[in-house]
Amino acid sequence: MTAPILTIDKLDLAIGGVPILRSIDMVVEAGKVHALVGESGSGKSMTALTAMRLLPHGADAAGTLRFGDEDLLTATEERMCALRGDDIGMVFQEPMTALNPVKTIGEQVAEGIRWHTGANRPDAEARAAHMLERVGLPRARFPLDRYPHELSGGQRQRVVIAIACALRPKLLIADEPTTALDVVLQAQILDLLRELVAEDGMGLVLISHDLGVVAGMADDITILRRGEVQEAGHAVGVLRQQKHPYTQQLAEASAHVPQWAGRTKPADHWGLLEVQSLVRDYPGPRTGLFSRGEPFRAVDNVSFSVPPGRSVGLVGQSGCGKSTLARIVLALDKPTAGIVSFDGMETSRLNDHDAQMALARREMQVVFQDPYGSFNPRQTVERLVAEPLHLEEKPLSRTERRERIAFALEEVGMPADAMRRYPHEFSGGQRQRLAIARAIITRPKLVVCDEPVSALDVSIRAQILDLFAKLNDELGLAYLFITHDLTVARAITHEVMVMDHGRIVERGPTGELLDNPQTEAAQRLVAAAPDLNRAIEARIGNTMLHLPLEGRSATAEPRKAKPGAG
Amino acid sequence: MLAYTARRLLIVLVTLLVASAIVFFVLEIVPGDPARLMLGLNATEDAVRALREQMGLNEPVLTRYLSWLSGMARGDFGESLTYSVPVTELIADRIVVSLPLALLALGLSTAIAIPVGIFTAARRGTRADTAAMAGTQLGIAIPNFWFALLLVYVFAVTLQWVPAGGFPGWDEGLWPGLRALILPAIALALPQAAILARVARSALLETLAEDYIRTARAKGLPANIVLWRHALRNAMIPVLTILGLQFAFLLAGTIIIENVFFLPGLGQLVFQAINQRDLIVVEGVVVLLVGTVVIVNFLVDLAYAWADPRLRRR
Amino acid sequence: MTDHLVAAEHEDWRLFLKKARANRSFQAGAAITLLIVFIAAVSLIWTPYDVAKLSIPDRLQGPSWSHWFGTDHFGRDIFSMIMEGSRNSIAVALIAVGIGIGIGVPLGCWAAARRGWIDEVFMRTSDIIFAFPALLSAVMITAIFGPGAVNAIIAIGIFNIPVFARVARGAALSLWPREFILAARASGKGPARITAEHILPNIANLLLVQGTIQFSLGILAEAGLSYVGLGAQPPATSWGRMLAEAQTMMAIAPQMAIAPGIAIIVTVLGLNLLGDGLRDVLDPKLRRER
Repeated sequence: MTAPILTIDKLDLAIGGVPILRSIDMVVEAGKVHALVGESGSGKSMTALTAMRLLPHGADAAGTLRFGDEDLLTATEERMCALRGDDIGMVFQEPMTALNPVKTIGEQVAEGIRWHTGANRPDAEARAAHMLERVGLPRARFPLDRYPHELSGGQRQRVVIAIACALRPKLLIADEPTTALDVVLQAQILDLLRELVAEDGMGLVLISHDLGVVAGMADDITILRRGEVQEAGHAVGVLRQQKHPYTQQLAEASAHVPQWAGRTKPADHWGLLEVQSLVRDYPGPRTGLFSRGEPFRAVDNVSFSVPPGRSVGLVGQSGCGKSTLARIVLALDKPTAGIVSFDGMETSRLNDHDAQMALARREMQVVFQDPYGSFNPRQTVERLVAEPLHLEEKPLSRTERRERIAFALEEVGMPADAMRRYPHEFSGGQRQRLAIARAIITRPKLVVCDEPVSALDVSIRAQILDLFAKLNDELGLAYLFITHDLTVARAITHEVMVMDHGRIVERGPTGELLDNPQTEAAQRLVAAAPDLNRAIEARIGNTMLHLPLEGRSATAEPRKAKPGAG
Repeated sequence: MLAYTARRLLIVLVTLLVASAIVFFVLEIVPGDPARLMLGLNATEDAVRALREQMGLNEPVLTRYLSWLSGMARGDFGESLTYSVPVTELIADRIVVSLPLALLALGLSTAIAIPVGIFTAARRGTRADTAAMAGTQLGIAIPNFWFALLLVYVFAVTLQWVPAGGFPGWDEGLWPGLRALILPAIALALPQAAILARVARSALLETLAEDYIRTARAKGLPANIVLWRHALRNAMIPVLTILGLQFAFLLAGTIIIENVFFLPGLGQLVFQAINQRDLIVVEGVVVLLVGTVVIVNFLVDLAYAWADPRLRRR
Repeated sequence: MTDHLVAAEHEDWRLFLKKARANRSFQAGAAITLLIVFIAAVSLIWTPYDVAKLSIPDRLQGPSWSHWFGTDHFGRDIFSMIMEGSRNSIAVALIAVGIGIGIGVPLGCWAAARRGWIDEVFMRTSDIIFAFPALLSAVMITAIFGPGAVNAIIAIGIFNIPVFARVARGAALSLWPREFILAARASGKGPARITAEHILPNIANLLLVQGTIQFSLGILAEAGLSYVGLGAQPPATSWGRMLAEAQTMMAIAPQMAIAPGIAIIVTVLGLNLLGDGLRDVLDPKLRRER
């Protein structure tokens, strides 16, 4: 047992009089990873900001927060400045905005070094270069005079980590450091953090909502809910035994598989949606006065089909072209080449005012990711859910409309009186139900779902997945289900397609493909995907039976993505 | 960066071309024959016709526009109809009053506004902030020509520190010239400073709420250092935009202020020229001012690229 | 800017009142604006004195119970003139704002909906209009077509068009990629219908705030034009003309310049406070508790 670095004792926090944290206890030890887990609103980020003393105005904290022998809550601001960045580092969730856009990465890493050590510019820059090298950004490829906008999200997060760890802090606080990244980048960043903890012997507070991530990383765990500690202890023990009901609930929700009658239903052989040799190019960046760079090919010769009543998943890293493909399927964007036909109508050739297009749109609806952004905040639920009804051939009477809306709401488990209310009166999960109600009100045959559960907390996510399964059973809806989360793909799709650099590289029945991926891209995704049970097994050491996926042969003949396969 | 500059430069040229065409053709539709206006009501038809010929008014419109344009490209703005001297000369005489006035006002406005903006942003919510912001509200509401009247009454009529109006000319030396411009410059600058200070404050506050400010704070930099090193440059962009717009406003604002102080500047020239239907002078001055505005905006664009590396790639 | 709109939420009237009650700037601004409008309305049927009647014996009096703000060099009651003048200021600025909104907002929304070369042409055109210093051009327009209130309105209105067009375009552009617009497009709604149903209601707040700003700028511009003799013509009364007349009397009757100046300042201040207050009251960023 090593000495504790950070000891939080009976921490209470209120912001503007509203209690946020209640009597939090937590001990972080040197060289250990302490996970702080909870759903949104649990107060996990606020705990971290309290430790940094970077709370918003009007915050009032009580209790003790001992760092070494000092109480951080009573330390002067001057003293906190000396500690921050030197002894305590912090990494934030959103790498795209965490770096100053007008300063080079070298300046930003060297700045903290110069500030705390008083080193001159060349020395500080040499140290900064060394640190960037450690986080995987070697100077040869990433010179110090690069600006943040020249780096990708994963690379930017590495810079943020370099800033936080430049002076070998005793404590590093990482607030959802990988939530904004895709699974492959997530695995890389987590590896990096693990290495830094091992090499520098610092304590790491890892804030996360993802039990899979936590199970693979953490030594200790504290589970928060609504500002209170639910359970704490050794991570593997807590997650394996799941003694506390809330822990159990979280664990179940994160690996939730809905009751789904249609799971085993055999597929029809004709394609409801047929996509053939689809290509979408975007013009390249402007390079000269009149010249442009090479066009960027977002979707590259993609062909597939979705049979009626089937749920087909589309998985891949961010930027692989999934969302572009979804937009073209929905006829919100025109392909550069290729054909999309839906129910026999060639939608890629139709225009918005064609009568056939209205027909196609009625039978093909969409659910988006962001439960906050998918509604016009100024319309009532009645108007929002009824939006696609204007596609109906003959106008509906007021009562008919009302009935249709009430029925759709009932189907998604919302009361009919929700109609009169406005979207901001509903929670994220309820809004997603409303989005689904809107999508099914015209009785479509296909619903395109673009990451519909990835912005939701795990317990809400489980409920929404149940709803998708139920609607497939009851209405025979086909889904094109876009997700970066393989657990979700496993839960709700019959087949899955893996997309990489604009191409579909592999396709097959979901379970089979994810258990035994053939192509390198699919293997990369599967290996990186956090999985609670697999991580626990790995941690308790009886993984001998369960071969590490990286070990599998990547040279096997990749399965071809066959249109209409399955 | 080169492509960015070249693209901006191209936009400048096109803007100038279109603007000059607008000026020319708008003034073309003005009712009244300039030749007749010049000669007065009693002139004979023959005299008018002869003058029209001499002025080239019988040429097709497009030909006249092109020759006017090519003249301007060579720095020849034509000849004034009322004074019979080259427009270039008239403008040169007046611009030595208007341009220093606008620049003085711009400098004054920036020198007051930026520190106030930084100070209030750093101390938001304090009494000093509230008081300063109330002051800027008042400053924005004050019409500059009324403020000018007030200044004249207090400093020229009552205290007699400075002349109430007129301009001695730069030949008299730097100081007498500046003395004549001080009050007009203050009158022009203060309302603008109020606007600029508010923009600077809100731009800074917006920047201070960014994620990277938190990153910088997590590095251990104290709040005031973060403001100077990280927030200021990012907040420059809206400030630069307003500065560019203000220069145009100040140049035009001199027209009214010159009226208050009886300054022989471009504003006075334009007024006289409009009253005398001396269109060629009006065209010249307007094109010159528009050109100045366009070039200042071009410089602001370049300054953007300096302030924000993300733009350099475009 | 995006976030403003993004989160723009339903006009909950009660919430609006609650926030308005807590916002002093809004209250002060609304009170001043209502007062000015009230004075203008009253002046239609009644003023303490007839401003058209000259009364040389009463000229150049200081403030008193019978003449609150004193009299001018023709013996006219300055308070009555201020009342009359408020009508002119409000009418000119209001109609100019109307022109700006009426033409600018549809243009901006159209450019944002169509994108591509239409948008490009639109942007370049507004760049060119912005290159003309507004006041100079207003002077030019009124000088060419003759001075007068109508031409002043047109001159100020023309320069309001690109302002509103740009605000509308910018706000609309940030809304178009949003998911609720995509969902509407996926429901087969065309650009015009989406603009009417989804874009306009969400940019209305922003336009309202910009409207109060342009209103106050219009009052300043009208005063400036009238001051140099290009705005309202005699016998109409306007604050700018009162100042021009006061200037000639500056040495002997400085008080003549005070009342119209204060009237302009109070009106503009009131509108600016109202605009600021509205922005805060309507700003969903502050409203949402998350």
